[in-house]
Amino acid sequence: MSRVTVDGTPVEVAPGATILEAAEAADRWVPTVCFDERQAPFGACRVCMVSVAGSPKPVPACTTPCRDGMEIRTEEATARRVSRAVVELVLSELPEPPAPHTELAQVAARLGVSGSRWSGAVHAREDDLRHPYLTLRHELCISCGRCVRACDEVQGAFALTATGRGFDANITAGLDAGFEDSTCVSCGACADTCPTDAISEVGLVAQLERS
Amino acid sequence: MATATTPEAPAAEARFDRVATTTCGYCGVGCRLETRAVDGRIVSIGPALDGPANQGHTCLKGRFAHGFTRSPDRLRTPLIREDGELRPASWEEALDRIVGELERIKGEHGADAIAGLASSRATNEDCYAMSRLIRAAVGTNNIDNCSRVCHSPTSFALRKAFGLSGATGSFTDLDHAEVALLLGVNPTQGHPVVGARIKQAALRGCKLITIDPRRIELADYGEIHLSPRPGTNAAVVLGLCHVVHRDGLVDEEFVAARTEGYEAVEDLLAGYDPVAVEEITSIPAADLEAAAHLYGEAASGSLLWGLGVTEHKYGSEVVQLLCNLAMMTGKVGKPGSALLPLRGQNNVQGSSDMGALPDTYTAYRSVEDEGVASTFEAAWGAPLSRHKGLTIPQMFDAAVAGDLKAMYIFGEDVAQTDPDTAHVVAAMESLEFLVCQEIFLNETTKYADVVLPASAFLEKEGTFINAERRFQLVEPAIDPPGEARTDFEIIGEVSRRLGHEMGWESPWDALDEIARLTPAYAGVSRARLGRHGLQWPVRPDGSDSPTLYDTTFDRPGGRGHFAPLPYKAPGDAADEDFPLILVTGRILQHYNAGTMTRRTGNAQLVDRDVLEVHPVDAERLWIGDGDKVSVRSRVGRIEVEAKVTDRIEPGHVFTTFHFPETRTNLLVGQSADVNTSCPEYKVIAVDVRPISEQPSFVPVLADGD
Repeated sequence: MSRVTVDGTPVEVAPGATILEAAEAADRWVPTVCFDERQAPFGACRVCMVSVAGSPKPVPACTTPCRDGMEIRTEEATARRVSRAVVELVLSELPEPPAPHTELAQVAARLGVSGSRWSGAVHAREDDLRHPYLTLRHELCISCGRCVRACDEVQGAFALTATGRGFDANITAGLDAGFEDSTCVSCGACADTCPTDAISEVGLVAQLERS
Repeated sequence: MATATTPEAPAAEARFDRVATTTCGYCGVGCRLETRAVDGRIVSIGPALDGPANQGHTCLKGRFAHGFTRSPDRLRTPLIREDGELRPASWEEALDRIVGELERIKGEHGADAIAGLASSRATNEDCYAMSRLIRAAVGTNNIDNCSRVCHSPTSFALRKAFGLSGATGSFTDLDHAEVALLLGVNPTQGHPVVGARIKQAALRGCKLITIDPRRIELADYGEIHLSPRPGTNAAVVLGLCHVVHRDGLVDEEFVAARTEGYEAVEDLLAGYDPVAVEEITSIPAADLEAAAHLYGEAASGSLLWGLGVTEHKYGSEVVQLLCNLAMMTGKVGKPGSALLPLRGQNNVQGSSDMGALPDTYTAYRSVEDEGVASTFEAAWGAPLSRHKGLTIPQMFDAAVAGDLKAMYIFGEDVAQTDPDTAHVVAAMESLEFLVCQEIFLNETTKYADVVLPASAFLEKEGTFINAERRFQLVEPAIDPPGEARTDFEIIGEVSRRLGHEMGWESPWDALDEIARLTPAYAGVSRARLGRHGLQWPVRPDGSDSPTLYDTTFDRPGGRGHFAPLPYKAPGDAADEDFPLILVTGRILQHYNAGTMTRRTGNAQLVDRDVLEVHPVDAERLWIGDGDKVSVRSRVGRIEVEAKVTDRIEPGHVFTTFHFPETRTNLLVGQSADVNTSCPEYKVIAVDVRPISEQPSFVPVLADGD
């Protein structure tokens, strides 16, 4: 077991536990976007930054293992500024703010990020509504990789792929053939994990439009 | 999804006006679901992150196939047959008719002229109530449920070998198993969430041995795949045991300390060397040896099987042979070493555990046991028969013979799903009175005199028991539509009007009664089940049993029992007139009779049954992909579209039974498991030929030289 403190609260964690797990044990909130407890930590989004005493710069909580004696601060100013900036950048690419119920919107709200200071290109609307249950709205994709990992690590269908680079990074089902003509088994694990509703359900999208 | 560190989850749920956590009603995996409804309709269903069996995952049936609950076809009012037609009726009129007819028939022919069927899709409390209705209010043990036609052989064999009727371990054993051997089961189609778990385990290094006449998807992720001839499972398992024995892979210590009857099995195994087994099964001897070594040498190994084992003439014997294999290698009752039958319907375990069977009360205690019978007699305040009742096939035979006059069928479409459809229909037509309690009109309701509108699993409360023996709570996501009522309410009302007041306010009172009258479930209560359920046996203090037999078996003397059972040929065999062997089964997108999934978007994904044919057979029979073909067996004939695929072996064909227009079960004969009468759905000799006027496949004509 390792003994660490999170915002001054001492907690004991199992060997190999991450800072994120320690924070959870200490009941302290760390913002995350690309993390899903059903998947191996990915460390892609850089939203879960925290400070560790003695470390020159913030570290990602989801992939950094705890060391005995570590002093972790979840709301240290530099780390929190990085988290906010990352969320702001992510929001700057979306053609519209994410729906309030989405994980991204909730993380943004909790971090006090509303809108973005940076105006520029936003994703063009491109919706794939061919599947009877699953909707794929590419313009909402933030390339967090959760859907691809859910498909690989939870279901094992390997139907989704990350495509493009930079601003054009997105995801594709069955090499653009759509869900139905891919190896997709319609389990919906991708829609379940998506933090922006880029992949969602026909019924939920309809519900959202009604309300 | 909400991570543990985002407490805003409730805000996300504010979009919905009713949320509940319940247990899935599709298949025996027992996924825990979060349901979300608005204005009385389900909008979305997601997996419960802390579901013990599903761990935050679910399949397209559990997640998406809920639209049937508000289908315009739903039965919303009772129906009564008048002048040959079903017409809407009030509950009062329908119940009067039922009570009047059942009392008349009981008066004229005795209680044994009446039979009831509980449903493996319904809750434990529904099934228990149905059993009490038939035993106490009607006065006969003619009560059965559809586990008869799927996993009754598993129940029989596990009780013989180990003592209790259920998996020896839990799905978590798959996370610790070095090897998993899958016989006659296709989890990525039939039990998708466990299928995904097995696939992930395989990707992490668990070695899979798949044994199935078809090359199932998991075979692509496994170490070795064996394709036996349909109906030769016994020879395969005997061959595996032979190699384990011959090559010194027996756990002698375990066999000596924990089991009995091994010597007789040793003698029997001599006749099943891999060459002899290859003769019977067509599995290459070297492959069989490799599989036996893989399983035998592993430190831990689990066995999984499904209807591909049970739905055979000797299905119950094959399960006993699997128990032999596990005991020989000491792979039972230890982490990673479990025997996990993948049960078909959501509550096929529970409906039988609850005693909706003609020969047993709750927890498989015999109706002939005076002590048990008198306990229930005292609790129910009604005299109870000490004679075994009729099984489902016996009910049909008795109806055709004129001995059975009335049936009360709840939640089972026997005219579509039971074997030998013509015989089932004859039975239905022979009855003087038939009640169907259903959510939709179906093939069976065509013969009903009264149809009662009941509830889907998303509209009721109670408990299910999954394939891990886990009691889990069922909570309503929405209310029943129109005048439909819950099955529990209906059964209680019928019983009351028949003069037997059950005295329950809700299913939770029934659950308390079940716990009070059943030592194996003594500690079960709604409060204790909570979000994670309990695996029986549940002791009075509420502690449960994820793993059975870690120290002793549950048989007199505490030893596991080896059964020396030889291979015997299946009930049907290919011959000149019927040269192909048909195997029937299911697919991912649809569930059993399809009454629910056909009324959802799943029908857009798959809208018909197809017949899988190997390219070699297809070419020989002049069949092209998509051609309509005629499939004829010794008892019936159907027409279905062909799909040419090399997933199946030459000489075999495969189809499903999800669509009533196909009526696949017209083809299935009367052959059934010798111990439990589970029908042999898996070995049917058939003749297949094209019938389209312009077959897409025209063979190349020989050159004229």
